[in-house]
Amino acid sequence: MATADTPAGHEGHHEHVHYTSTGLENRKIAIWALIGSECMLFASLISTYLIYKGRSKVGPFPHEWSCKTSNVVGKTAELVAGCAPADVLKPILDIPVTSQSTFVLLMSSLAMVLALAAVENKGHPLPAGAGWWDRCLASSKFWLMATAVMGATFIGYQSYEFTSFVHEGLTIKTNLFGSSFFTLTGFHGAHVSVGVLWLLTLFAIDVKRGLKGKNDVLLVDICALYWHFVDVVWIAIFTLIYLIQ
Amino acid sequence: MATTAAPAPINTPAGTSYAPGEATGIWSWLTTVDHKRIGTLYLWTALTFFIVAGIEAFIIRLQLMKPNNQLVSAEMYNQLFTMHGTTMVFLVIMPLSAAFFNYLIPLQIGARDVAFPRLNAFSYWVYLFGGIFMTVPIFFNVAPNGGWFGYAPLTTMQFSGGLNIDFWVIGLQILGVSSLAAAFNFITTIINMRAPGMSLMRMPIFTWMSFVVQFLLILAFPAITIALFFLQFDRFFGTQFYEIAAGADPLLWQHLFWVFGHPEVYILILPAFGLASEILPTFSKKPLFGYNVMVYSGIMIGFLGFGVWAHHMFAVGMGATADTIFAMATLLIGIPTGVKIFNWVATMWGGNIRFTVAMKFAISLVALFTIGGISGVMHSSPPTDLQQTDTYFIVAHFHYVLFGGSIMGIMGGIYFYYPKIFGRYMSEKLGNWHFWSFFVGMNMTFFPMHYAGMLGMPRRIYTYDIGQGWEQFNLWSTVGALLQGVGLICFVYNFVKSRKRGEVAPNDAWGAGTLEWSIPSPPPDYNFAKIPYVTSRYPLWDIKQPEMTAELTHTAPDAGVIADAHAVPMHEETQYYTAKSLGIPMPFPTIKPFFAALFMVLMMAGLVFIHLDLFWVAIFVMIGSGAAFVGSLYGWLTSPLE
Amino acid sequence: MTRLPYRRLGAAMCIAALTLALAACGGQEYPNSTFIHNSEINTDIIALWDRILFMGTLVFIFVEGLLIYTIFRFRAKPNAPLPKPVHGNHTLEIVWTLLPVLILIPIAVPTVKTIFKTQAPAAADALQVEVYGHQWWWEFRYPQYGVTTANELYLPAGKTVAFTLRTVDVLHSFWTPALAGKRDLISNKTNYMWYTPDAKLAEDAFNGFCTEYCGSSHANMRFRVYTTTPENFESWAAHQKLAAAGSPAALAATASADSAAKKAPARAAIIPTPAPVPVSNVGYIFPESKLKSHNVPHTPIPASLTFDDALLASADVAAGHALVTNIANLGKAPCLTCHIIKGEGAMLNLSDNGAKGPNLTHVGTRHTFAGGLFPTNAANVARWIKNAQVMKPGATMNTFGIGEYSALIKAKVTAGLTDKEIADIVAYLMSLK
Repeated sequence: MATADTPAGHEGHHEHVHYTSTGLENRKIAIWALIGSECMLFASLISTYLIYKGRSKVGPFPHEWSCKTSNVVGKTAELVAGCAPADVLKPILDIPVTSQSTFVLLMSSLAMVLALAAVENKGHPLPAGAGWWDRCLASSKFWLMATAVMGATFIGYQSYEFTSFVHEGLTIKTNLFGSSFFTLTGFHGAHVSVGVLWLLTLFAIDVKRGLKGKNDVLLVDICALYWHFVDVVWIAIFTLIYLIQ
Repeated sequence: MATTAAPAPINTPAGTSYAPGEATGIWSWLTTVDHKRIGTLYLWTALTFFIVAGIEAFIIRLQLMKPNNQLVSAEMYNQLFTMHGTTMVFLVIMPLSAAFFNYLIPLQIGARDVAFPRLNAFSYWVYLFGGIFMTVPIFFNVAPNGGWFGYAPLTTMQFSGGLNIDFWVIGLQILGVSSLAAAFNFITTIINMRAPGMSLMRMPIFTWMSFVVQFLLILAFPAITIALFFLQFDRFFGTQFYEIAAGADPLLWQHLFWVFGHPEVYILILPAFGLASEILPTFSKKPLFGYNVMVYSGIMIGFLGFGVWAHHMFAVGMGATADTIFAMATLLIGIPTGVKIFNWVATMWGGNIRFTVAMKFAISLVALFTIGGISGVMHSSPPTDLQQTDTYFIVAHFHYVLFGGSIMGIMGGIYFYYPKIFGRYMSEKLGNWHFWSFFVGMNMTFFPMHYAGMLGMPRRIYTYDIGQGWEQFNLWSTVGALLQGVGLICFVYNFVKSRKRGEVAPNDAWGAGTLEWSIPSPPPDYNFAKIPYVTSRYPLWDIKQPEMTAELTHTAPDAGVIADAHAVPMHEETQYYTAKSLGIPMPFPTIKPFFAALFMVLMMAGLVFIHLDLFWVAIFVMIGSGAAFVGSLYGWLTSPLE
Repeated sequence: MTRLPYRRLGAAMCIAALTLALAACGGQEYPNSTFIHNSEINTDIIALWDRILFMGTLVFIFVEGLLIYTIFRFRAKPNAPLPKPVHGNHTLEIVWTLLPVLILIPIAVPTVKTIFKTQAPAAADALQVEVYGHQWWWEFRYPQYGVTTANELYLPAGKTVAFTLRTVDVLHSFWTPALAGKRDLISNKTNYMWYTPDAKLAEDAFNGFCTEYCGSSHANMRFRVYTTTPENFESWAAHQKLAAAGSPAALAATASADSAAKKAPARAAIIPTPAPVPVSNVGYIFPESKLKSHNVPHTPIPASLTFDDALLASADVAAGHALVTNIANLGKAPCLTCHIIKGEGAMLNLSDNGAKGPNLTHVGTRHTFAGGLFPTNAANVARWIKNAQVMKPGATMNTFGIGEYSALIKAKVTAGLTDKEIADIVAYLMSLK
């Protein structure tokens, strides 16, 4: 009963009927199908954001200055003519801050790669004269936790971002920009959160009994595929929503 | 696997509706993870919803029988047509197809189950609970009333304040979960669980069409999921996606809906095409003509299906250029569809055609779908579409496609596979009554609608005035609907009665060539005592009628693969054994998918309480059942499969 | 088994007979047929349709003929040898891949031509009509004439009409099958279409429909199109632009100078104005005699909605006028908060865009009301005011009859109008010509 003691055992086949047409494990095929489907999900969300870009009737706007009391919009604060300073709304998107969180999320993908490599190399003895770095590289626990922490950091940035936007007057109810922005990034954030929980589960298993063997490599592998996908989606979002004005 | 001593067969009289040695009783059905039982559950449930949708349709026809009729109120009528459409699409045709996916795909590819048996059970229970959630409100006059494509802004709180649309939005989300979970499962099953030697181009054509459908599902459903999330957020959390005052564009909904909605048409029709492609060769005593082209045209239809959505929107004013592009793309779909029809005719050409009920249904699919296809070309041209869209001409068109195509094909599939599923044949005599009253009745119902539409009758109207020139067509349609009702009664009686009293069916009930006919009827829970290795497209004919497959390339899979998969040469199995005596590990029955589905549906449904001004009840229900759902999932994932 | 094909033939013949019977039902009128050449747009569409129908019929006869021939020719015969197992034929399959292409090209080419022709911008000198969709009635504005009307569209025969289509609420679709194709009314979007009612059309009436599902009374959102000579049209428009004939506002406008005209409405709102005097010059009105039976609504009115019709005969126009226009009665009869009657209720300053209900300035000249659902006569209008919701599901018009159950407020109306008061109001409304 190979799957009996794996908390994330999912559906799988007994070790002795592991024949598959492609030679790949079922779960690996399923996660690719899931990712294909998720692509369409985010494509729909991103399209909606782009379709609604510039259609909002009231501020705040992503890249422009605007006024609470009039429909004036400008590229700079000074250009929002005739607006009392107290009523001026700043552009919402803060590219420097989000660049930091983007960097953290990108780095988490690197950590994920190292986590998978560490699990795959379990059982291989460390080379003679291995230093702390080699030992570190071989620690799947470390890299799994690192990935999870970086993911959580990203969520932290996002929470900060959301809170500050709300303080600046943008909520999900404010305008079309608010609705489509919070929904899009919220969906992505939810995906990251699921990923963090998934990573923490793997970490817990690793602590409890150690991840090793073909089945465990697969467990980490499908999580890694998901994680990289979520990461790639963020690159698309960051480029299309934040960078392109 | 036990290889040394031959296990003792269980000898029970053939012709029971369940394979001997199987557990029975309600608990065994609630906990089943057997793809065949789940397929049977889908079949029974979808047929029940078919009767519900049929009654809805019949009331619609009675209301329209004469002008200014007052049988039902406008409000009830709007609920009836919305629910008829929604039920037929999401609760009848898709699950009937799913019944066949479940039952047949593993049998056709030589597998013992689907890739994720418990996920499969979960899909079914989600479908059942979601279906109940959507159907019950009509008894309380609060059923969805926005039409099956629920165009914004009519569906927003501003214009539809009641619970009606809430049931629709949440219900469709629930059903989406079911369809998506099933699609991931079948994609994996088909890619990964084929018997040794069964290359993709040796898969039975039904499995092929199902394969295309699963891709359509996973790529099309996210679009409507997002569109529904927007609507849900608008209705419950005050977002502005469809809020006209905020500058929203109602065409956003239409685009997202039809990006899903058009592939959905192929999701509904391709399984029926697959079934017809199994039936026509069998009763013509010939292999399918142009298998490769049939596969490629199926893929082409699926592929092009994603590029034509806006032909549902020619009247919205997209501009001449967009109209032209979508019109041309739509015309292109006529090509692979035409090829399929010609290949079916060529399959029968030169054959030795036996007119069983299943065959009649399959032939009528070809005949009726052709009519639907031709009328489809008529509104692929935007200028003529402006006189046709949203009229009864469209109603006629899609009923020829979905009733004449999907339902007739699926009915053929039911007569064809009934002996495999229940071990007994359905009555041919009653079947003929069923077929002829359906065939004549559907033509009598839907053909006059072409005239009504071209003579100016808009669709979705609960009443019309005297003297508009539509009376006789509507009367004919209602009489036709009555005839279809007679056919439905014949069918239901036949279906129920034949389980106990039908003629006992052998393994190979009709002389077909694919794997599912090489095992007992009904199949034992493990399907194949020994996995056969497949040497050609019609493995059973390879051993029973080798002359049928002489022209095909035969290859034996390499020995390594055979050893790996414990496969043996192609053979017929006649005895029932227990899985245990054969040493085949079977997935444990488990109630966890049932509870996971139940709590997930409750969690999603709990939102409705917000609009009943029971905020805290909603929170309690959603958090409570959400926790129970996570608990069930945890139990599910941490318990061994087999 | 062998008998079955003959049964199939029998059924096929039944279907054919049915089809013919349906197609050839003589003597039946099809007033909303899309196959009538009433405009150049419809002529283009019919030409395209004929070509597609021809192609479609060819395909139909060929495929169904081939299918029927095949199943007869190759039906199972006793002791027949096993058929030759043919798995395919490349040449044939290429041929029937190309066959649909050959059928589709002659459809595609004229399709594209017609798309660009019918969607070209309208002629610059076209008559402009703005169509506004409301749940569930139609508003028509003629910006070149300053006319706003409802549910009845007057068009000069032989002159191109350019429609600007907008909705004030949900989506609708504007369709007069016998004149042209439809175009949707989309929120936050303006749509355009045009057509020219043929010059050959005399005083003709056509039925129009909403063809986008728009809620409860989607079926009840109808309208009429009246075509007439350009001279008649001008006469109609010239009068519709003014306040109703004989109304105080109209009299004031003709009798006194500008300043008086400016003050008059303000005064009219405070002091009960004198009753309007019937005036014979009301411009052109589409003659009732030209309406065919299918143009006249036959919508049944629920028997539960009763009204003492005797009151209508003795109704007092002046009293009705006072009820509607005197601001003191606004709580009781708030007609002018939703409806515009030109020359009245200036205090409320209601604009076309602000008015929730149809413009009633010339309601007495219209043959139908409530989305083309009922003929305009005193008995119908009285019941409508008394309880509109039972006459038209979902109607947004208040229920005014005392003691009536209002579906809008989900309660019985206590502070409303008596039958007598309603009769007076109806008499006033019917006088608005």
